[in-house]
Amino acid sequence: MPDPKIALMAHLMRRAGFGANRDELERYAAKGYEATVEELLHPENAPPALDDEDLLGRYHAGIYSLMLLPSAQTYYVHRMVHTTRPLEEKLGLFWHGIFATGYTKLNQPKQILRQIDMFRRYGLGSFHTLLIQLAKDPAMIFWLDNKDNHRYEPNENWGRELLELFSMGVGNYTEQDVFEASRAFTGWTMRNANLHTARVAQDSVEPYARLDWQFEYNDEDHDDSDKTFLGHTGNFNGQDIVDIVCRQEATARFLCRHLYNFFVADEPQVPAWETVPPRDPKAIQTMMDTYFQTNYDIRSVLRVMFNSDFFKEAAFQKIKSPAELVAGTVRMAGTDPLPQVNDVAIAAAAGVMGQELLDPPSVEGWHTGVEWLNTGSLVSRINFASNQFVDVEKAGVRAIIDRVKAAKPSSHEELVELCLDFMGPVFVNDKTRSEMIEQAGSAGALDSTEKIVGLFQLIVAAREFQLT
Amino acid sequence: MVAVTTIRYIRTVGCYALGGPGFLNPVGLTVGPDGVIYVLSRGHLETNENLYLKRVTLCNVEGDFLGEFGTGGNKDGNLMWPSSITMDSDEKIYVSDEALQRVSIFDKKGQFLSKWGTQGKGDGQFDRPAGLAADKDDNILLVDGLNHRVQRYTKDGKFLGGWGSHGTGDGEFNFPWGINLDDAGNVYVADWRNDRIQKFDADGKHLATFGASGSGDGQFNRPTGMAIDRDGTIYVADKSNERLQVLDAEGRFVAKFRGQAEFSKWAQQWFDVSNEDLKAEWDAANLAPDLDPSPNDLLSYESGSNISLFWGPSAVQIDANGNILVLETSRHRIQVYAKG
Repeated sequence: MPDPKIALMAHLMRRAGFGANRDELERYAAKGYEATVEELLHPENAPPALDDEDLLGRYHAGIYSLMLLPSAQTYYVHRMVHTTRPLEEKLGLFWHGIFATGYTKLNQPKQILRQIDMFRRYGLGSFHTLLIQLAKDPAMIFWLDNKDNHRYEPNENWGRELLELFSMGVGNYTEQDVFEASRAFTGWTMRNANLHTARVAQDSVEPYARLDWQFEYNDEDHDDSDKTFLGHTGNFNGQDIVDIVCRQEATARFLCRHLYNFFVADEPQVPAWETVPPRDPKAIQTMMDTYFQTNYDIRSVLRVMFNSDFFKEAAFQKIKSPAELVAGTVRMAGTDPLPQVNDVAIAAAAGVMGQELLDPPSVEGWHTGVEWLNTGSLVSRINFASNQFVDVEKAGVRAIIDRVKAAKPSSHEELVELCLDFMGPVFVNDKTRSEMIEQAGSAGALDSTEKIVGLFQLIVAAREFQLT
Repeated sequence: MVAVTTIRYIRTVGCYALGGPGFLNPVGLTVGPDGVIYVLSRGHLETNENLYLKRVTLCNVEGDFLGEFGTGGNKDGNLMWPSSITMDSDEKIYVSDEALQRVSIFDKKGQFLSKWGTQGKGDGQFDRPAGLAADKDDNILLVDGLNHRVQRYTKDGKFLGGWGSHGTGDGEFNFPWGINLDDAGNVYVADWRNDRIQKFDADGKHLATFGASGSGDGQFNRPTGMAIDRDGTIYVADKSNERLQVLDAEGRFVAKFRGQAEFSKWAQQWFDVSNEDLKAEWDAANLAPDLDPSPNDLLSYESGSNISLFWGPSAVQIDANGNILVLETSRHRIQVYAKG
């Protein structure tokens, strides 16, 4: 039986990061669970997330400027795989799914990565601060047309999604509240909006490649008359709207349910939340209480969540997203220490599986849970993982083989148990285990590399490997 | 020794283009005796549909387009991760390739002639060949990136010797990149990950080390290449500081420049063809904005926001008339400067 402390730590690292290899798990387990949670919650104490950004930019000329989507995706997945700050990166992906902003409309992938970098900097702090930063984010301003939200001609896209998708959820505000919130955000725009809009419309990178975008506040275009929003009346600016939004119980519930859905266990798709209650209302309430007690502090909510029994008992309750599957598998199998010509294929794999990073399908982000899986995506997921574990020269694959051999299995049953353990641990049902034992017994010496690699192929093809 | 205090901007040559007049992530350039500039475009992705963007573009300092050759791929004469380009006295062109682990040789019309090179760590082998330069004897100096050393080959690839190993001491390197010579035959190497320039005599004896990590005057952040004029003044592409630094012959800091590009002839042609409406938007925009200093990539962010500035300056060469050609990978162009 796998060591329960290792199994628990593997669960934590899959959820709060992109998985960990056995050496890392043993180190974390020696440190202790709560201490590890604390380490994850304080990425500012860790070394810089990457120590090879310079090499990426040197060998992949396109990554230096991040002009094209595949280059930006390659950088992003590389960061998931190699970061020294797992939770910071995982939380960035969480916010990228909630505050979904996409290349298809923006035509500016670096700007979406800059938005995700903002999530890394603010994603563990106050939700209030994060929403203000989001409202000032030029990628979001372009995505939801707030550059077209004018004093005498309000555009409601940002105001609506702020309430519907980013904070409170449907059913907790009126159409008038949307209108009034939108008015409060008039004048929150981007510099050189006309130039950027014209370039995006023509898909123009000539003559000198893309330009970075900046937030700009245009006081003359701001509607400074009184607004009435959620029962409060005043000469509100955007900041005041965020103040009022963050005080709402609906906001706390919506945010905590999103965190639960991403980190603990799959919930129904968001549009159903208005009518379908949470699968664990008590857990949501515990997180909401923390949200209010700590002045909307996301780090505190996550601390309570990760240290709770409802989190610890939720292993394998979720289907891995393509990003989790790709980054987690590559992280476990190991990568070449230097950038390679075919790096772009790794990031492209997540897109094939249905998660085009930096380009979510709509403002609602990706549908998650069982919706990640269909026949085509399942084949892509298995093939990708299988290919990662074919190459015995990869450091991670080699390390697992060495551990299995060092344990000197005396039977095929034991060999299968060891492989399952060091690949996760992965827990499979009895039928799958029997099939693996039968397959392992078919040919070759008990601890031959070929036999072990063959078992890796069976394990990554197992249903349980798709779960986290 | 002439003390330089300034250089002046002349013009900008080139622009982004998938083919024809323009470059795409250019990483190297060399100038022929007739003034023809050969610009090596690395391209941006190694997917099949993007391989054709890798190429060599011919132009001159006035900004006239003179042709192009080459394409991506694995066959003879193809490019995959082209890194550096140089020319010998017979006007043959040498291109190093970090993915294909070879040096390819072309005539000046772009006809493929031959190739040499073997991946490895031994004598006469290299791993990810980066900078190239022809010495006064017409041998080829080659920066062996992953073996952290400099090698010398005959023109047809016979190994003649080399120097250097991985480290931070004198004569040691950390992922070196560009290489160039002065008129006396001394060799300068951009010791990229050590953030410094090292100077050697023609035999590889260490003479001096210039710079250290940082963004201050005379410091470097991943310097990629340098050129030395006839007075011994050194012009360094200080890539991740997004600037050109000028050092005197003793390696003392003289000046730094962030760039002052304008729309080049090719850029203007692009606007004139069918994009006049966009030009009006460009003219109306504020392209030199004040930026929020909080992001941790401010230099890159400034360069990404302001098209006058250098973005990814990767190589420098000086032509026969003393023009200083600074190649920018991420803005796909050359800024031309002159002394005085």
